[in-house]
Amino acid sequence: MTLRLPHLPGLLPFLLPALLTGGGVALPLVYLVLRALEADPLALREILLRPKNLELLWNTLALLLGVLLLTTLLALPLAFLTTRTDLKGKRLLALLLALPLALPGYVGAFVLLAATGPGGVLPLPRLEGYWGALLVLSFITYPYLFLSLRAAFLGLDPSLEEAARSLGQTPLQAFFKVTLPQLLPALLSGHLLVGLHVLGEFGTVSLLKYETFSYAIYLQYNAAFDRVYAAWLALFLLLLTGGLLLLEGLLLRRLALARTGKGSSRQAKPVRLGPWAPLAYLLALAPVLLGLALPFYALFHLASRFPREGLGGLYEALFHSALAAFPAALLAVGMALPLAYLGVRYPSFAASFLERLAYLGYAIPPLAFALAWIFFSLRSLPFLYGSLALLVLVLAFHLLAETLGPIRSALRQVPRRLEEAARTLGETPTRAFFRVTFPLLWRGVAAGGALAFMGAVKELPITLLLAPMGYSTLSTRVFGYTQEAMFAEAAPFALLIALLSAAFVGVLLWSERRF
Amino acid sequence: MKRLFLTLAAFSALGALAQTLTVYSGRGQSLVEPLVKGFEAETGLRVQVRYGTDAQILAALQEEGNRSPADVLWLNTSGALGQAAAKGLLRPLGESLLGKPLGFVPGSKAWVPVTMRLRVLAYNPNKVKAEELPQSLLDLPRFAREKGLRVGWTPTYSSFQDMVAGILALHGEAKAREWLLAMKALAPKAYPSNPAMLDAIRAGEIDLGSTNHYYVVRFRRAGYNLGLHHFKEGDVGNLALVTGAGILKTSKNLAAATRFLTYLLSPKAQQYFVGNIGEYPLVKGVVLDPNLLPLEEALAKSPRLDFEKLPLEQALRLLRELGIL
Repeated sequence: MTLRLPHLPGLLPFLLPALLTGGGVALPLVYLVLRALEADPLALREILLRPKNLELLWNTLALLLGVLLLTTLLALPLAFLTTRTDLKGKRLLALLLALPLALPGYVGAFVLLAATGPGGVLPLPRLEGYWGALLVLSFITYPYLFLSLRAAFLGLDPSLEEAARSLGQTPLQAFFKVTLPQLLPALLSGHLLVGLHVLGEFGTVSLLKYETFSYAIYLQYNAAFDRVYAAWLALFLLLLTGGLLLLEGLLLRRLALARTGKGSSRQAKPVRLGPWAPLAYLLALAPVLLGLALPFYALFHLASRFPREGLGGLYEALFHSALAAFPAALLAVGMALPLAYLGVRYPSFAASFLERLAYLGYAIPPLAFALAWIFFSLRSLPFLYGSLALLVLVLAFHLLAETLGPIRSALRQVPRRLEEAARTLGETPTRAFFRVTFPLLWRGVAAGGALAFMGAVKELPITLLLAPMGYSTLSTRVFGYTQEAMFAEAAPFALLIALLSAAFVGVLLWSERRF
Repeated sequence: MKRLFLTLAAFSALGALAQTLTVYSGRGQSLVEPLVKGFEAETGLRVQVRYGTDAQILAALQEEGNRSPADVLWLNTSGALGQAAAKGLLRPLGESLLGKPLGFVPGSKAWVPVTMRLRVLAYNPNKVKAEELPQSLLDLPRFAREKGLRVGWTPTYSSFQDMVAGILALHGEAKAREWLLAMKALAPKAYPSNPAMLDAIRAGEIDLGSTNHYYVVRFRRAGYNLGLHHFKEGDVGNLALVTGAGILKTSKNLAAATRFLTYLLSPKAQQYFVGNIGEYPLVKGVVLDPNLLPLEEALAKSPRLDFEKLPLEQALRLLRELGIL
């Protein structure tokens, strides 16, 4: 089905929110262009045409490819092991494997760096340069891919694989010919998130002394106190992102993955690992150790060097974090649903444009995102400025892309025929969606919501600049202490970020049981 | 859910109506909060604070323009404060405020210095004798090479970059380049932060490194034996890093804002800076601990230059050109 004029009235409940969402995400883009236009042409030439940019471009791409490869090598087998095998404790393992997401990048990289090298508490060479950035970023971002693939594995219809087997394919052949193509949307949307992170991340690369585009933007804002050339560099980065999005769009074109059979899907029979089980644990050990255990161990070790003053405001910060992150995640899911629905069910230029826009919004440096909203809200909605509502709204716009992937993958796995059947029974597209499709999307919605929630809890620049005055969250407290190099005081807040996220992911994984 | 948002929005709007002083702070919450509480208790005024890095706060203020709710700007670096003054965000201050600090009053008269930090040399006293140490930062590479000492540095840290800008301002580009190349030839270990570097000195990974004085003070207060060396008077290795505060042009609360700045420069608040984070006060009548120099002596250590106009961009360009950043 493509989007045609006669569809429009029935689709209004999807189109309207989708357009509003697209507008909200596009606002910061407009802002960047506005700022960029203030540039002085001569100085601009110096900054855009310098040979250094080629080096930055090369570094950025090399890091991007490396991280995509490494995260895939980690996430694909781990997602398989924790969904399709008889591995003991796979639910707990999945929780541990998702948790590196809970650690803010600015804390993780900092702590790993302080703890490695001669004299550090960890017996590892100091993480630096390309390899350092590759390792740290991979272990920070692989959970995006892992969670996305997990949701896809769980939503797979095993009968397809069984059909392939019955036609004489070996299990491995069946996996590559039947299962892997089914996983492609999840793989690509996971890659997109990981890729956008690599492109936009500056905390890690600046600490590890690896020069990428985002680092150049960071320097422009922070060392030169400049918003104009930072905007140019950010727009350049968005071009790169646009390329990535185009590539994903091309790869995803004309993919039909839904079940076509009658009746309902069932769970695949778990693969028996037998003597291979210890190896599976070993594989899971590396990311849990490097992404979770070591940073926390190092954080507490560093913290223990200094006497700690009284602990205040833990509960308040926890409450504030949840109060902002939970509605933000909910809102992000609500925004993603119509976008994903239109994109998957009515593929058209307009629909995919809106969807891509959401990803671009994610790739805009958060500081620029926050500045844009300061600029626009004070001029058009001044009563919202400094309110929790604005913070929630902007966080949702920023994190929307994190929810989009899982929801889109889930949607692709829901047979269109079910919806069409409802339509022939006289339901409007909206009612058909909510009565038939939505209940089947639960897993994608939950996974997307969990990602957005964790993203919101650890997010920093937007929270700092747009939260109500005096509204301190876990992440702003961690920032406030590390800013003054008070690690002992920062540690409990960082731990709480992880615990809050763990609780959320835990509930999520536990709820999988019912489906 | 929507109703909840609206209620919350209404509440925060009501909060803004009440007479409160709004402070935008580049200094950390852990440091600011106790002082704000003290101010509120003393004056009965209500204070709300927005935190961020100097750069974030400065960018936010410019986006807010004349709709900004901020009254007071309180930042970590004179460079950022100088930018705020140059961009016309700050209101000129009266002599009653500018006359309070013992030094470092900026040419723009748009902000008032609050505390001072000094660049110093931290070293491992088991490896290096205090009396051998060079009298100038510029002699540090030669000294380290001759003694075979291992050096650390923090090129990404803003105070280090300020110091390089200081070399540029005082000695010119040729000298700065020469110093950086000589340092680079020592293959110094780069650290992401000062505590990480000091921890490495403590652990014997390196022998010395230039840092801010309060980091050494904090290590010493925690019971670690680190050496603290000041170069000769006026040397760029002792560069003062001044924190400060100003009143924004958008402030509708001039009297309260002035009271807040006055409070920051009161002996009581200044004593807090010394006790809590080991910074130098800028007014008399504050008790210093033995890890700090007597105030008169400390004030004389730093070279005199225009702290608002340190050539920071030139310093960054040089650092990048030499492949250090």
